[in-house]
Amino acid sequence: MTQLLQTLINGLLLGGFYAVMVLGFSVFWGVMGVINLAHGEFLMTGAYLAWLLFTSFSIDPFASLLLIMPIMFIVGFIMQKFLLNRLLERPSLATLLATFGISVILANIHKIIYSADPRNVPVSYSGSFELLGLSLPLVKSLIFVVALAIMLGLYLFLQYTRLGKAIRAAAQNKNAAKIVGIDIEQVYAITAGICIALTAAAGAIISPTQAIFPFMGQPFTLKAFTITVLGGLGQIPGALLGGMLLGMAEVMVATYVPGIGTNLGVVISLLVLILVLIFRPQGILTGLKRMPID
Amino acid sequence: MLLIENVYAGYRDFDILKGVNLKVNPGEIVCVIGPNGAGKSTVFKAIYGLVKIRQGRVIFGEQNITNLRPQQILQAGVAIVPQMRSVFPQMSVRENLELGMYLEKNQQRIQKRIDYVLELFPKLAQRQYQQAGTMSGGEQRMLEIGRSLMLEPKLVMMDEPSAGLSPSMTKMIFENIVRLNQEIGLTVLAIEQNARQGLESSHRGYVLELGKNTFEGVASELLQDQEVRRSFLGG
Repeated sequence: MTQLLQTLINGLLLGGFYAVMVLGFSVFWGVMGVINLAHGEFLMTGAYLAWLLFTSFSIDPFASLLLIMPIMFIVGFIMQKFLLNRLLERPSLATLLATFGISVILANIHKIIYSADPRNVPVSYSGSFELLGLSLPLVKSLIFVVALAIMLGLYLFLQYTRLGKAIRAAAQNKNAAKIVGIDIEQVYAITAGICIALTAAAGAIISPTQAIFPFMGQPFTLKAFTITVLGGLGQIPGALLGGMLLGMAEVMVATYVPGIGTNLGVVISLLVLILVLIFRPQGILTGLKRMPID
Repeated sequence: MLLIENVYAGYRDFDILKGVNLKVNPGEIVCVIGPNGAGKSTVFKAIYGLVKIRQGRVIFGEQNITNLRPQQILQAGVAIVPQMRSVFPQMSVRENLELGMYLEKNQQRIQKRIDYVLELFPKLAQRQYQQAGTMSGGEQRMLEIGRSLMLEPKLVMMDEPSAGLSPSMTKMIFENIVRLNQEIGLTVLAIEQNARQGLESSHRGYVLELGKNTFEGVASELLQDQEVRRSFLGG
């Protein structure tokens, strides 16, 4: 019983991280219709920035968000404005290739600069605390709380601000957004900036819990894809639900299926993806808009 | 109010409009009818800066709005209701109206205007918190018209207000257009496939054929005209 509860808690904590990890990917797809294949590499970039700030200036990875997010916002803004916006009228293969190219470039630039050696961010407050007889890992709980706070912030921004409404409008009906005077290209660039900032933030907050290396990104892109399919495009409750489901599935398999451990997370993710595509191709919730068929 | 003089416009090297002349006076409902491929929608796009005008000009009030960008034309006081469905389906009626006034930043003014527009459309007022995508086609079109009124335009252009609607819905939409014209003096330029319905609700009409206007006149007279009847109204 305690083991089950403990497993559920671990799944919950992992799920919370997955939910915030997927937001950038999911909103990018939902608003611009672009599947960002460099998602994991932007996450990796965020993790490296956190490592750099931690080792060079001993800035805590959670505090470093205040620096990393604005920097990566600018990166995303520029990428959308000068590259992806020009490809939007082309077939979607163009943006797929472009983001794939960015992923290769980012991974290899990091390899050249930092070598392929794995890096760690050993924060001083690792360990766990007891709550109601269950042991909660401190760092992972902190990640969970920050993840929820980021999600809530994004939700409130999209729901209630003028810019947030413009982003939702552009996602739901591009032509109508133009009619009411929304500058689509500007809104896209801002959205991309937000998405990349969120993705890098996800990378920064998990930096204390996992090895950082240039090619760590790909599993995250795959998992983001699964969660987006699970939860629907660009939808925050969907991302939360999808993230939780995947987190639970991974932790359950690791605990109860002998001989697998946590190394097969991607396999589980793909298995979940296949099952969803067979039984619930429309996703669990409907998103910012329907999944485009073409 | 709106004056279109000898406009030539089209795509690439091919002119679809070959000398179109139109005039809309304040307080009028003007309807442009014509067969498929006559260039009706291109007139709409040319005025709104979505298709390049190669020759001729568009005057709105005192201002030359030829080839301005859509946003500038919107700011000049021309709103549009396009043919394609243009509500934001997963937003409430109120949010849709709010976005109609995206160019305005003063929240108080926006909320006041929303309440005003909802007063004009009691049906929308009943559903102001409902998601727009869950309403019927006719209600969505009403919302589109309501949203076009948010910036207090001097002229509303409508491309095929009847598109995709049942005859009874079409009738309801045109009744609303006439009502708005009478109640608040709304000036409307409609482009309409459904010639009879369009002309019956209008003051004046233009017939567009092969990129030129061939007939024009008081709507009720066009409805009686032998040639117009034979060609466009089914005898």
